[in-house]
Amino acid sequence: MNEQNRVKINQLLTGVPGLDEILGGGLPEFSFNIIAGAPGCGKTTLAHQFIFANATVDRPALYFTVLGEPALKMLRYQQQFSFFDAAKLNNAVRFVNLSQDLVERGLEGVLDEISKQVEAANPSIVVVDSFRTVLRSEMHEGKNMAVQTFVQQLALLLTSWEATTFLIGEYSESELRDNPVFTVADGLFWLFQQVDRNSVVRKMQIMKLRGQASVPGLHTFRITEAGLQAFSRTLGLVGERKTYSTVKRLSMGIPALDEMMGGGVPEGDSLLIAGSSGTGKSLIATQFLAAGIRAGEPGIAAVFEERPNEYTARASEFGLDLQTPLAEGRLEVIYLRPLDLSVDEMMQEILDAVKRTGAKRLVIDSLAGFEMALAPSFRTDFRESLYRMIFALTAIGITILSTLEMPETFTELSFSSYSISFLTDDMNFARS
Amino acid sequence: MTRNADTTTTRELAQSLLAYEADEAGAAMPNEPAVCRVCDKLRRPLTTLAGAAGFRSLLARALTLAQRESPALRAWEVKADGSVEVPNGEAVPSGAVLIAHLIGLMITFIGEALTLRLLHDVWINLPDAKVMFERNEQK
Repeated sequence: MNEQNRVKINQLLTGVPGLDEILGGGLPEFSFNIIAGAPGCGKTTLAHQFIFANATVDRPALYFTVLGEPALKMLRYQQQFSFFDAAKLNNAVRFVNLSQDLVERGLEGVLDEISKQVEAANPSIVVVDSFRTVLRSEMHEGKNMAVQTFVQQLALLLTSWEATTFLIGEYSESELRDNPVFTVADGLFWLFQQVDRNSVVRKMQIMKLRGQASVPGLHTFRITEAGLQAFSRTLGLVGERKTYSTVKRLSMGIPALDEMMGGGVPEGDSLLIAGSSGTGKSLIATQFLAAGIRAGEPGIAAVFEERPNEYTARASEFGLDLQTPLAEGRLEVIYLRPLDLSVDEMMQEILDAVKRTGAKRLVIDSLAGFEMALAPSFRTDFRESLYRMIFALTAIGITILSTLEMPETFTELSFSSYSISFLTDDMNFARS
Repeated sequence: MTRNADTTTTRELAQSLLAYEADEAGAAMPNEPAVCRVCDKLRRPLTTLAGAAGFRSLLARALTLAQRESPALRAWEVKADGSVEVPNGEAVPSGAVLIAHLIGLMITFIGEALTLRLLHDVWINLPDAKVMFERNEQK
């Protein structure tokens, strides 16, 4: 079918930073979706973020609660998030309790009440939380057909009434097979909490999304006071690498080094400065940034071993003024030392800084510090993650200088203990 | 601990609701105490938020707290269906204690802003509820 004849599926923005990109632009309108995961992984918060971003008085959201967390407590906790808009309550966002319908009349009673409410309210969004408890009450011998019929009728009803639907449930991965709910669903969002030693990392996977291509794989997300924030594995930077008709070389800020490098580092390259402690790697990186500022090229320093004020103070000891460009927004110093950092979050920070400053140069000082800031489970994927990050950033024309501490040996010449030469286009090895 | 029901505002609001029900709605059902009508009007939004059993629990808790404060309420009872049984001849002051505690519990759970919004939705013509709601919105 050619493009003109195809039905156009509108995409709804989810209100969750980063998620639209993972979904391939947004959530398909009128889709019937499942949000699954273990308790406490953010399912309800994700649904709330979506409804508060999309519900209107004319096309409200109906939030059905069933034998799970009552809306009274849900409101108590959800109003702590900044996306919660009290003005929408009871007009654009309406809660309906179905517990009694389920207890007294089973699935038929639930379906009747949902039908009645949907026909009366004309909602654009319907959430059933927890859908698992609806089905669990009927999931026993001889009732499978009744459950399947219920799910199918519910999907038909809500789609017919042009509602985008979320069914929330505490499912385990082992239930994926032969479950009628998953078969009927257009979208399947699975939220995980992975524990590795003392750290907990949240990840999500779009296991299924009909009608459009989502980004495959596991994506990190955080829950902050603003709600969920997702970090796409690719951060949308999957395009072709930027090509240059002529190779421009960027000055390192050290004339003799520029001369040794044929005029400087080629624009859009990833340069590794390796060497033992005290060989001046960080100073070279600082001079590289300062040279960029002088040439009108904004820069970003991602530092892990000293605070931003210490970083700029150390630069001023060498006569390099980073304070002024920092104050003027031509330089940003990113200092991230949260627990359980992911590479994707780091990259999001860098991309946001690139947008703010128009940066052309990025310094990562150092790769070892970066690795230490990551949650243990991310360290095992460090090389792969770093590859994605450096590839994506150089693809948009950022020139990256990373520092790496190496043990000083006089019996061999090793450039890196990380085996990360594939990450770099150029290497400088400093020895004292 | 200072409970939300102890605040002058909550108590005044409870009295306003009772007075409104006694004046405006009482003419239609003169034999039904105003406190019962207030509880009944709160039943719908609270059942939506907490379920029928949840509403009954909240009301029973409010009554227990109110009974500690006002011995006159000791004969009052929350029935299985979530309605309040009021002995004949009980006057507004005792009812206000109960309603104030019920509103206080709502404030404890969902905060003042949402509580006033819910009350305003139910008693849209009640001037006091409107004034308090608008004052809260401006904060």
